[in-house]
Amino acid sequence: MLAYLIRRVLWMIPTFLIILIINFGILRLQRPPLSYEMSGGQSQEEAGSRDAEKGQANLKNHLGRLKRTGNNLPSLINLRGFVDKDDMIEILEDLQSKTGVKESERYEQELELMISGHMSVEPLVEILKDESLKSLHGPASQAFMMCAYTPLNYEDRFEYSSEELGEIQLRNKSLADMAINYTNEIDKAFKVDDENYESKRENILNYYQRHQSIYVQSERRWGAIFGDTGFMVFMGKLFTGKLWSETKKRYVFEVIAERWQVTLWLNIFSIMIAWGIAIPLGIRSARQKGTLEDKTTTNILFFLWSLPSFFIGSLLLHHLCTDSSTGAALFPHRGLSSDDSLWYGTLRYLLDIAYHGLLPLIVLTYASFTVLSRYMRSNLLEQLNADYVRTARAKGANEDKIVYGHSLRNSMITMVTLGAGLISELFAGFIIVETIFTIPGLGLLLLDAVLQEDAPLVMGSAVISVTLLMVGFLIADVLYAVVDPRIRSQYG
Amino acid sequence: MDKGKITLLVIIALLLAIQILDRSREPEQMLAFAERIEESQESLRQQQVEFNIIVEAIKEKGIELTGGGKGEGGHVDPLRDGKPKLYANFLLPHNDGHFNPTYVGGTLKVYQSSPKGLNPIVENSATASDANGYINDSLCSFHPRHPQLWSEGLATSCIISDDYLTYTFYLRDEVYWQVPEIAKKSEFEWLNKKVPLTANDFVATFETVMNPDVECPQKKAYWDDMESVTALANNIVQVKWKVKVYTSLNTSMSISPLPRHIYSFNEKGEEYSKEEYGLAMNKHWFDEMRQAVGVGAYVLDEFTPDKVISFKRNLDYWGRGYHFDRIEWEGLVKDQDPQLVGFKNGDVHAHGLSPTQFKSEVLDRNEPRFAAREVNNPKAGRAGEFAWEQVRSRSYSYIGWNMRSVLFNDKLVRRAMTYAFPKQRIIDEVYYGLGRPQVANVHPDSVYYNPNIKDHVFDLKKAAALLDEAGWKDSNGDGIRDKLINGQKKDFEFTIKYYASSVEWDSTLIIFKNQLREIGVVMTPKSFEWKELLRVYEDKDFEAVSGGWRFGLEVDFVQLWHSKYAEEPRSSNHCGFKNKRADEIAEKLRNTFDQEERIKIAKEFQEIIFEEQPYTFFRSGEGIFIWQNTDKGENNKVLGVEEGLDTYHPLYSREKLLWHLSKE
Repeated sequence: MLAYLIRRVLWMIPTFLIILIINFGILRLQRPPLSYEMSGGQSQEEAGSRDAEKGQANLKNHLGRLKRTGNNLPSLINLRGFVDKDDMIEILEDLQSKTGVKESERYEQELELMISGHMSVEPLVEILKDESLKSLHGPASQAFMMCAYTPLNYEDRFEYSSEELGEIQLRNKSLADMAINYTNEIDKAFKVDDENYESKRENILNYYQRHQSIYVQSERRWGAIFGDTGFMVFMGKLFTGKLWSETKKRYVFEVIAERWQVTLWLNIFSIMIAWGIAIPLGIRSARQKGTLEDKTTTNILFFLWSLPSFFIGSLLLHHLCTDSSTGAALFPHRGLSSDDSLWYGTLRYLLDIAYHGLLPLIVLTYASFTVLSRYMRSNLLEQLNADYVRTARAKGANEDKIVYGHSLRNSMITMVTLGAGLISELFAGFIIVETIFTIPGLGLLLLDAVLQEDAPLVMGSAVISVTLLMVGFLIADVLYAVVDPRIRSQYG
Repeated sequence: MDKGKITLLVIIALLLAIQILDRSREPEQMLAFAERIEESQESLRQQQVEFNIIVEAIKEKGIELTGGGKGEGGHVDPLRDGKPKLYANFLLPHNDGHFNPTYVGGTLKVYQSSPKGLNPIVENSATASDANGYINDSLCSFHPRHPQLWSEGLATSCIISDDYLTYTFYLRDEVYWQVPEIAKKSEFEWLNKKVPLTANDFVATFETVMNPDVECPQKKAYWDDMESVTALANNIVQVKWKVKVYTSLNTSMSISPLPRHIYSFNEKGEEYSKEEYGLAMNKHWFDEMRQAVGVGAYVLDEFTPDKVISFKRNLDYWGRGYHFDRIEWEGLVKDQDPQLVGFKNGDVHAHGLSPTQFKSEVLDRNEPRFAAREVNNPKAGRAGEFAWEQVRSRSYSYIGWNMRSVLFNDKLVRRAMTYAFPKQRIIDEVYYGLGRPQVANVHPDSVYYNPNIKDHVFDLKKAAALLDEAGWKDSNGDGIRDKLINGQKKDFEFTIKYYASSVEWDSTLIIFKNQLREIGVVMTPKSFEWKELLRVYEDKDFEAVSGGWRFGLEVDFVQLWHSKYAEEPRSSNHCGFKNKRADEIAEKLRNTFDQEERIKIAKEFQEIIFEEQPYTFFRSGEGIFIWQNTDKGENNKVLGVEEGLDTYHPLYSREKLLWHLSKE
């Protein structure tokens, strides 16, 4: 039995990792375009309206944040260290406006270069040194200014001493005013358009001369292939608990810690209710197969099943939870407890919670009755038609003993599998129920995170829900062993 | 074991569980109890202050306690008319005539999405700046009745010199920073002192914004042209600008001070080094503790992100403050439906309705507590148990024509499109009457609006005639207009791109499409997600596109209409509007400070825009505002809303601070 359990737990680890990678991949695909991120997040509030007074955002000022989220790095493989002068020339030439190339795509590429950091400095300087490449010196100088910049954020306060910080700040400061102006007209080559071209270029080369040691990256490039990637930054933050939510301005797990209990309790109760009602219903239906009662329950359950829960939820909210002109509402419209429930005695407190939780639980569970009880019914029927039941009947065993003593236990095996899946299904249901009844749980949090495109928070919530699912599977595995003697005997 | 024993065990287990729960709740209850005692002490102090206010008011005005107040009228310097001018203090005297001591009291509750933090520099969300507006004050302010006129705030005098490049402010005396809640704790005792406001606090704001390590790109962009903020004396602030630009006026007048006696220290009370300061500001311990202080009328009381943020009266405020003792922002309820239910159940005092909610609740009479709409009485909504009123917002929507495309490079065609667009009908049918037809590029409530322009009202015949005149005729009899362009026959067919999540635009474009079909033009609507639509604007990748702009009261035409932006990538001039005269006057407007001159320029500009029709202007935004209009015994009826709607500027008519709650 122990061996069985250990095996199950060990299996969870690769599953967990794979789910994480897939999740991360999808979120990274969904990463908002850099240009959008840097324009300062225009709100969608007023259907398609934009702020007319929004100024051009300051690009450098975004670097600290990008560095913090790992969004300045490639997702899974980082080959920036292998870009040499020729590659860089190609990259720069691609930034040329051309007919047929959409400006937003071109701009996105430009931004990608701008945020690529110290690894791009060396090839850029080589281009700037080369007099024959003068036409590229405009964009190269701008990229140089951005790439040579060392973004700082609050975490660096603890990593560097004051003197080191001062040094970096001084260095960053001296990087101003080095951009060589240039023209980028459609289908024409870049052209330097700057009176101070010579002095600016000299500045750049001088600067590089002085700080060369910082920017030589050839030793680091192999380690960076897998080390300096968005995924590694993310994993590092995940396992040290430092995942940071930009929209909440707090650590992700701190936010989740406040919310998960509510969802878990709702989960436990709704599973208990769903099973507590669906299984007896299924048994009763199976035993009375074909009667009017069986048909009625079946029809009612399918009717319920076909009603979407957001619809039922809103209906209940508007009709049972809203004060009318004639009287107060039957049920509370929000939360899981009254405002002053802290002052209630414990029994009243529990009753208060039950009163608040009733409608949300109904909305969460009514749909699962159908599936569960239908499965229960058909499984039990299958068992009741089996040979051993006929034998038992022939021996004259009474019907209750046959159903509860023999068939039920056998038909529970399928139900256990269903149960594990149910946990994750309910998790989706919470988003709707928590939004409608304003319950501060994980569902509401997740919805918020998705709407505000807060990737770390979404990932954090996903990790929690995956963990819940895994735990669900583990419990199911244990229950298998309980209901199925074959598994127990296999593992001794 | 038999069943009886099992039952007994279960019962015992349950009782134990209840006992454990009981015990676990005790410490929390004790804490809450202590808090309650503290609160009641506080409220005693507050009543004392209110009493003093009333006594003071009686002394000042005799027995009369209604409205009026000092400041309005009276004997003041004629130069102090609130209109910016050189070399004279033009600020209107501080006016707290709105304040009536008998209205004092109560808690105002509204839904407001929760700000992430309250740092006055780093946070740039609208809610964060609203919250800071309650807690903190700025150099100068305006009354919602006259949003164009400046009056005293923290500064009692403002003198502009050096051809609008230098602003000198004299600060009010005896203004003290609020003491934060945490100063009561022993480890933060160093904060427990009364700190006076000085000019250096304004310098701190400037220096923090300009610090390269501080992450506030939006603010930096606005402050880019500011050269310096200096403290000439303890009570004199001087703001200098690099260039003469009209926006400098607004930006200078609305600088708020930064509590540098907190932000430049770490949690142990040690001063940050110069190197650390900028970095620390991005994630400051003071913000992490959910604290904020200012010199404003309200003190931050409680801040739990995504749940609640509340403010209470600042008992040491330099002015007389506002009527509410507390203001509570409810941040957990975010969905439209639960919010409306919450409003009906009395959770909040005021709220808004979406067009669809307006249709179902008010027009379809699904909620009898809202009064029915009456055609000739815009104030009919005030009669119900829940009052409602149509209010204006600072936005307009439009259909933009790409002036680079062969279809729309002719202004006759663009004008024809406007004639074929049934504006009023769509506003009535799709938006249920919420909105007014927009004629040109200035909001009708702005002083810069040109009322002399008469709109091209829907007329298909005129539209058809204009298309004929522009050379678009149906030559092959297939029902679609066509024209020879560069020797090739081109049908008048185009795609319009619009914002996908808007039901209203869906219906609008279907109506428009059918009208166009009648005059032989084929339009295909195609919807886009918001971010995709932004790319459409950036790439100028459209023939026609829907859109909207939000505005302040001031106008600036360069960003949207200057021809230097017509070909520039990612500019806001996505239609490619080019006009020499328009460029000239847009630039002139930027550094003209005289208001009459500005109005003249803006009016001419609108005429050019109207003549050219780069957009078919559609509607200026309106919404439905609702508030509690009956007393349910909990003092939840809001008063003063009607006065605001009737007398304040339409865009500031919902100034919550000037309301009050029913007393009985």
